[in-house]
Amino acid sequence: MKRILLKLAKMREISAILFLIALFLIIGIINPIFLQGQNIMLTLKGSIMYVFLAAGMTFVILTKEIDVSVGAILGISAAVAATMLRNGNNIVLILLVTLLVGAAAGFINGFGVAKLGVPSIVMTLGTMGILRGLMFIYTGGKWVENLPDYFKKASQVEFLGINVFILITLTLIIMIQLYLSRARKGRFFAAIGDNIEGARLVGVPVNRMKITAFILAGIFSALAGLVYVSQVGFVGNVAGSGAEMTAIAACVLGGVSLQGGIGSVVGAAFGAIIMSSINTGLVFLKVPAYWNNTISGTLLILIVVVDALVQRHLSEKAKKQRLMARTSFVKEDVTIEA
Amino acid sequence: MKLKKLLKWETSLVVILILELLIFGLINPNFLRISTLLYSINDFISICIIALFLTFVVITGGIDISVGSIIGLTSIVIGVLWKLGGMNIWLTLPIALLVGAACGAFSGFLIAFTGVQAMVVTLGGMLLYSGLSLVIMGVSGASAFEGISGMPDSFVQLANGSVMGIPNPFILFFILIVLSYLILHKTKYGRYIFLTGINKNSAKYCGVHTKWIIMSTYILSGMSAAVAGIILTSYLGSSRPDLGSEMTLSIVTAVVLGGTAITGGKGGVIGTAVASVIVGMMRFGLQMAGISTQYISVAIGLLLIIAVALRNAAGKDAFRRVIQKNKLKA
Amino acid sequence: MTDHHNKKIPLVRLENIYKSFSSNLVLKGVCLEVHTSEVVALIGGNGAGKSTLMKILMGIYTPNSGTIEINGEKMNLNNPSIAHSQGIYLVPQEPMLFPNMTVEENILIGFNTNQAELKEKVEQLIKRLGWSLSLSRLANTLSIAEQQLVEILRGLLREAKVLILDEPTSALTFAEIKSLFQLIKELKSEGVGIFYITHRLSEVFEIATDVAILRDGIVTLKGPVNDFDEARLIQGLLPPQTVTKEIDTREDVKKTVDTDKTQPIMEIKDYSGYGFNSINLNVYPGEILGIAGVVGAGRTELAEAIFGLGDVTGGKILLDNEDITGKQVSEVIKKGLNYIPEDRYLNGVFTLADVKSNMTASVLKWLSKVFLHSRKEKDITQRYIKEFRIKVTGQDQTMKSLSGGNQQKVIISRILSTDPKVVILDEPTRGIDAGARGDVYRIIHELKNKGLAVLLISSDLEEVVLLSDRVVTMYHGRINHRFAGSDINLDHLMAASFGVYEDRGK
Repeated sequence: MKRILLKLAKMREISAILFLIALFLIIGIINPIFLQGQNIMLTLKGSIMYVFLAAGMTFVILTKEIDVSVGAILGISAAVAATMLRNGNNIVLILLVTLLVGAAAGFINGFGVAKLGVPSIVMTLGTMGILRGLMFIYTGGKWVENLPDYFKKASQVEFLGINVFILITLTLIIMIQLYLSRARKGRFFAAIGDNIEGARLVGVPVNRMKITAFILAGIFSALAGLVYVSQVGFVGNVAGSGAEMTAIAACVLGGVSLQGGIGSVVGAAFGAIIMSSINTGLVFLKVPAYWNNTISGTLLILIVVVDALVQRHLSEKAKKQRLMARTSFVKEDVTIEA
Repeated sequence: MKLKKLLKWETSLVVILILELLIFGLINPNFLRISTLLYSINDFISICIIALFLTFVVITGGIDISVGSIIGLTSIVIGVLWKLGGMNIWLTLPIALLVGAACGAFSGFLIAFTGVQAMVVTLGGMLLYSGLSLVIMGVSGASAFEGISGMPDSFVQLANGSVMGIPNPFILFFILIVLSYLILHKTKYGRYIFLTGINKNSAKYCGVHTKWIIMSTYILSGMSAAVAGIILTSYLGSSRPDLGSEMTLSIVTAVVLGGTAITGGKGGVIGTAVASVIVGMMRFGLQMAGISTQYISVAIGLLLIIAVALRNAAGKDAFRRVIQKNKLKA
Repeated sequence: MTDHHNKKIPLVRLENIYKSFSSNLVLKGVCLEVHTSEVVALIGGNGAGKSTLMKILMGIYTPNSGTIEINGEKMNLNNPSIAHSQGIYLVPQEPMLFPNMTVEENILIGFNTNQAELKEKVEQLIKRLGWSLSLSRLANTLSIAEQQLVEILRGLLREAKVLILDEPTSALTFAEIKSLFQLIKELKSEGVGIFYITHRLSEVFEIATDVAILRDGIVTLKGPVNDFDEARLIQGLLPPQTVTKEIDTREDVKKTVDTDKTQPIMEIKDYSGYGFNSINLNVYPGEILGIAGVVGAGRTELAEAIFGLGDVTGGKILLDNEDITGKQVSEVIKKGLNYIPEDRYLNGVFTLADVKSNMTASVLKWLSKVFLHSRKEKDITQRYIKEFRIKVTGQDQTMKSLSGGNQQKVIISRILSTDPKVVILDEPTRGIDAGARGDVYRIIHELKNKGLAVLLISSDLEEVVLLSDRVVTMYHGRINHRFAGSDINLDHLMAASFGVYEDRGK
């Protein structure tokens, strides 16, 4: 029984991977062009932005909080980056400033949640509004266009036939995964979400780790913003709007539990790929684009509900077995006595 | 004691509202004209209506971020049934209400009976319902950008008309305040909502059917979103799928600013009603003052965070003591 | 590895510790110390302040006043990690593990040193102790006993000089208790000082070197264990008058129901479910029927199933000759049975609501159809506030500002307002002070005198002995013994609860 449970816990990511494979196969059977290397690359490239958002979100959700401002952070950091690019600033400076914008936004979120005690949903809903507004004010409501070619072309660069952005993302995800599962402090995030009092008791700096989680979410959103600028080539008013929902959905699909304490960045990354594959997949299935939200929404609900029901069934079954074991144990006892 | 505390908060909300009006009045004296004030409600009546009933959901400890999408969906249902289905527009309204109720029932059922967090289910609901309105538009061949317009004047008068100089939306808002107040604070059902929100387990041990209570609050919030959808469609004289998509922040802000705890168990509709007018007036007033609309979301976001942080600072000490006490006893 | 051969400097010395929560003074100047190789048994009733005191030592709570000395040095403990670094470790009563982590991760988290080395150390420790505990298991698959072992391992790995064990045996089996005691003896010989919180007197004499009795926030008695016997301990534990008086009078109130002639109000027939099996029990009007047993014996599971909150796999229940098996809670209440849950905070109170709403939560259903009937609610509330002498500033006082005892009285009122014929009280005096406890006992007696049938589930055996007319004990989900009249005493119930009654009888 324990082994099965242990396996199931590990399977949380595997179900996302299997689902992704099935998705690719189904779309591929209907329209084989989808499975051509070039198109798979295209799908993966389109998912990078969401992979980053979901990775940052994972830190926050592991601590049993939520961040709905990541889309807005993406937007404002993309706007900042694009404006600086247009002004011809030094690329290193641009990267630094952009990431700093993300980190600062994340710090504000973390400070409000950890120090002021504002529930994270309220806090980040508030900063979402603030950042969206600031972005409008910053850009004057205009698109940021006419960006230098070198930055747009960066998203096309290939190494060994694979897009460089994909390689960078892959490396980053592996590194984060190792940090979360191996590093001493990496385990702290999950520990906080798992049992916050227990975490305090073993000396985990709970508030500091929560702030760190939000800062990381901010930095990753800024990274996603940079990817957005490079891939799209301009920054519109609505850049990143609704992306927070895709990111949360990706985490949930990838097995990151919104109850905190369970989940991995790898799972979240696969969840993100699923979310964007659905959209590209629909194009290949020649389904009109207006079905996108309906299908993503249905899938999200379906997967989460099925997961919840399965988990509940298992835990109830385990509880019943445990209770039954207590009573059956004595049966033997009695026979021995008699 | 609790009532007194709550009333105190509501009084300070009224003071905030008066201050707000004065400030906007100083910036633009036209703002304080009675007719301007009365008709300003057209701009934010949807926020007020939904916030009243979202309060129920939040008191049970839940949240519904799909209400914005339900506004758009009901608007499209009205438009498509009327224009392409050839139905009398008045007959489409009960159907729109039913659609809102069904959306709420769907989310509410999943939240109450499967134990998935409200945030996740209504997130999915938000995608699903807004997606459905696009699908309905797409399948029926209407353009999502242009919407469906040209609605009969009698229907347009529903939101734009007035009775004895008082605009209809204002009257509707007043009726709904009274109705929601009676339901939440004067009925057995309302008491069960509070008890469920404070402690679902205890409520179960008292024989309360907590799951149905929880589900029903989502039906109510879904229906209120449908009412908002009807009013908004009538006000604009056209159906659009993206109506209400940007309202979630304002609605949640109104509920929380009104004194309802996002963690459930505490709150009331009077606070929500005043707070929704504060939030609405802020949108309206900033527009009147000629301040670009982009500042609005900054202001509302700040308002939300500051309100909650301040309430926390005041309540934090007491709260911490209770927690420690509970720990001690346990 | 500083070994204090000088016995005069204690490992830990708590002096004049005061602590209050809001207006509730919990510790009123406690002085206590532990030296190397001492096992100080800290005993006292529920709510005496034992856990609070130890949490102060751990830095989880900050005392209002008083000093803490460690190895003779005054320390300011305001964070568990400081306590840890000073070699103090608390094994809490309810283990604080991370359910979704493995045993290994649970033990190693929070350490700065090399994880591989630590792991080896843990494995050696487990081997030395002779436990069977797989490091790769998830914590949420562990039994309470195993969870405690993990907590103890955490403390040992930190090379704790002072170990605090908070009622460690409450969920352990006999074999596990034995191995735990062996461990304690080993630690003692290695110089570790141990605070051992318990309310089992027999354990005190088995492993403690010193005893301290905490009652109502002060240490009433302390000294080497040899200076005490059981009678003296009990005397130190009992409040000066109230309860002893009731013990004196209990023989008069005890009553024997003539089970042949009286018609039972509730019949439990071959009742089985998850956690209990083949329960047969008749309950008569006007009696208090005690159900004793250790934690996990299936008493609460049985009660909740009767109340409509658990699955039933077989048998049935007749309430006043009506079958109520598998009915919903609201229907069971309507038929005349009500239940006070074991965990008041989790399942009983509505902290944020006022006293009135708490009082009428169950009866609300029948008070009116749609709208609330304010006057009726007030009348009911006023009646019980008066009858049970509930200390409130008014009906609109919030529940969370009431003391535990008054909260419990409100909940008792709540279930009585539905006019039940049978009430099941699950740990009715847990976590309430001595004064309120006496009041609750009085209320229970009144219920009995009014002709209600009272099922009393309690882990406090003294309470069961004091109140019950008949007692059944449950052991591993079954009723293993029944007692009546003069057979009801602590020894019998304790033995039967642990399934060893007959052995002793023979």
